[in-house]
Amino acid sequence: MTTQSTQSVPTGIVLNIQRYCSHDGPGIRTTVFLKGCSLRCKWCGNPESINQKPELGYDPKLCVGKNKCGLCMQPPFPQGAFYTMNGPDDTIHVNWDLAVQCSEETVALCPTKALYMYGTRMTVDKVLDEVEKDSSFYRSSGGGMTVSGGECMLQPEFTAALLDGAHKRGFNTAIETACNVPWRFIEQVLPHVDTMLHDHKLSIPERHKKWTGVDNTRILDNFKRAYETFPDIDFIARTPLIPGVNADEEHIRAVLAFIRPHKNVIDYELLPYHRFGLGKYEFLGRIYELNDYKSPSPELVQGLQAIIDEAFGRTKTTAAAS
Amino acid sequence: MIEAIGHGSFLRRIAINAGAGYVPGMNAAIMGVALSAGKLGWETVGIRNGFDGLLHPELYHDGGLVTLDPQLIDNLDPDGSGVLGQSAHVDPFNVRQVNEDGFVEELDLSDRVLERLKEENIDALISVVGGRGLSILYKLHLKGLNSVCIPRSIENDISATAVPFGFNTALSFTIEMLDRVRQAAQSARKIGVVEVLGERTGWLALQAGIAVRADAVLIPEIPGDLKFVASRLKDKISSRRPYGLVVVAEGAKLADSSSADAQVSSLKASLSPLATGEASEHVIERSGTAATTVANRLQLLIAEETYPMVLGPWVRGGSPTAVDRQLGLGYGSAAVRAVEAGEYGKMVAFAPPDMKFVPLADAINKIRTVPAECEFMQIARSLGICLGREL
Repeated sequence: MTTQSTQSVPTGIVLNIQRYCSHDGPGIRTTVFLKGCSLRCKWCGNPESINQKPELGYDPKLCVGKNKCGLCMQPPFPQGAFYTMNGPDDTIHVNWDLAVQCSEETVALCPTKALYMYGTRMTVDKVLDEVEKDSSFYRSSGGGMTVSGGECMLQPEFTAALLDGAHKRGFNTAIETACNVPWRFIEQVLPHVDTMLHDHKLSIPERHKKWTGVDNTRILDNFKRAYETFPDIDFIARTPLIPGVNADEEHIRAVLAFIRPHKNVIDYELLPYHRFGLGKYEFLGRIYELNDYKSPSPELVQGLQAIIDEAFGRTKTTAAAS
Repeated sequence: MIEAIGHGSFLRRIAINAGAGYVPGMNAAIMGVALSAGKLGWETVGIRNGFDGLLHPELYHDGGLVTLDPQLIDNLDPDGSGVLGQSAHVDPFNVRQVNEDGFVEELDLSDRVLERLKEENIDALISVVGGRGLSILYKLHLKGLNSVCIPRSIENDISATAVPFGFNTALSFTIEMLDRVRQAAQSARKIGVVEVLGERTGWLALQAGIAVRADAVLIPEIPGDLKFVASRLKDKISSRRPYGLVVVAEGAKLADSSSADAQVSSLKASLSPLATGEASEHVIERSGTAATTVANRLQLLIAEETYPMVLGPWVRGGSPTAVDRQLGLGYGSAAVRAVEAGEYGKMVAFAPPDMKFVPLADAINKIRTVPAECEFMQIARSLGICLGREL
């Protein structure tokens, strides 16, 4: 994996550190997004997190064009990586097949920052120093640090060190994971976790494979083993809700049947699918495969949420809705 | 009848493969390659599904390689779809697979492609590809592959050749469909707004629009002003001619949306799913949205009813026209001549009346857009076709 250990200081590839998050665990949190994922969910809203290595991004809105700049059309940028169409329009276009050869040093030459790299290697302390900036919010809200991805457990040594360091600094810890990793990765990380948010994407193995790239046999085994091995962790199940894929009662009931026997699974959350990630596919020169899918209707989400509420013994407050 | 060639007596062995997606005329190109190579005493094999037949021979009953022998070629239907199949992904630098740890990942298997070709005693590869495929084959050529490319395109957007195969069939079918829409619009007394292929260039929309004498044609090269288009439609539509036809390329741009685009901010600072912008920002508008957008906006500007239609993927299938059959055979035959002459790292280009060989380095990134002053634009203006704005 990409975790490196130099003089016993592990480093990892960090995509972003997002402050003031309120949906990634209890309280106000800082979420550390790591790079690299072991699934290829067709609805992925964070395509820049999939590849484990730092990779090129291009925001055409920041580019001033060939006539005013054109630096990327000359060495040391790879030949043919950037071009313009014929005619008066001098907008720079990216040949993504050739642009992947751009080094980080070369990308840094772009004066307007239209070219940039997704992902940077960071030490545990550097990440935690950033996280510590909001420590007062954590104390007042019961929040802390969440490590997300990509798949945070693809960098198990780094993630474990990060979580351990956070605990030592007095922060509550959480992770977001799909658990498509060997158990040896999970048992490295979970001893340092207070809350684990985990995805139940699809219930049927062959459908899980169709939409994410692998079936869910190992994932479900990992979930069950985690529930049983780490009774003190608060587990929160989640489902990204996509109409036509998994936004149906059968899936919700299958997940409930899986999690309800385990008392440390304290909640099951629905994440209505959105298309916010679409633009980032363009920035990466990739095609979004779920382009024609829409977000679930509020009625559909409410109906499915009611099933969950009932299973968890929660009374629906109809007055609040009216 | 094709002259039979005995096994084991071939002077050399070459391969042919195809990029993603079907373009009419593919079988003709394969026939052109196999027949011309056979004449030279060469054996031609086809690689199934792009490079997949080479990389995963175990998945195919024939080992992933189809011997394009005289009997097969003699019985190959030039009308049929490509006998080699089309893989959804043909980039050997990014092959998605599941590793031994159960992780989905993309691997660079380009070295494996070169090894497999060597193992199969294939010393040159002819690839039938579109614009993106040219870049991939260029990279492989830089790694040592003896590569020759045949251009194919529905949009006619490869600048290095006068016309690739596939375009003529798409144009003919688009015209046929537009004729039908025109008749439907006439009887329904509405304005048909038809989206045709053309994400980056407007050749298909413009040429088809001219052929059916559309009222307006919107192409990516000319940001359209719908108020202007509406005023032109008002002038043309009357009680004696109570219908209209607007042709929209899928990549058409609207001038009045540019200000909205300019307001879109970078997503760089907001990478998490919870922090990105509104759903409408940066949405990649693909097939179907151009017709709907134009039809809805026009309907608000004039007192006529509009209805959107999308030809899109319908155009990609079907039998090749006579032109595309000839082009396919011609490109295939010329590609073998390029291999014979050792013209590797080249694309076969049609420069009427000749076939020439253009370096891939010069062919990539050259998008043929519609120039403002080209003959087709002049024709459209002469016919009174609105091109989206005053020109």
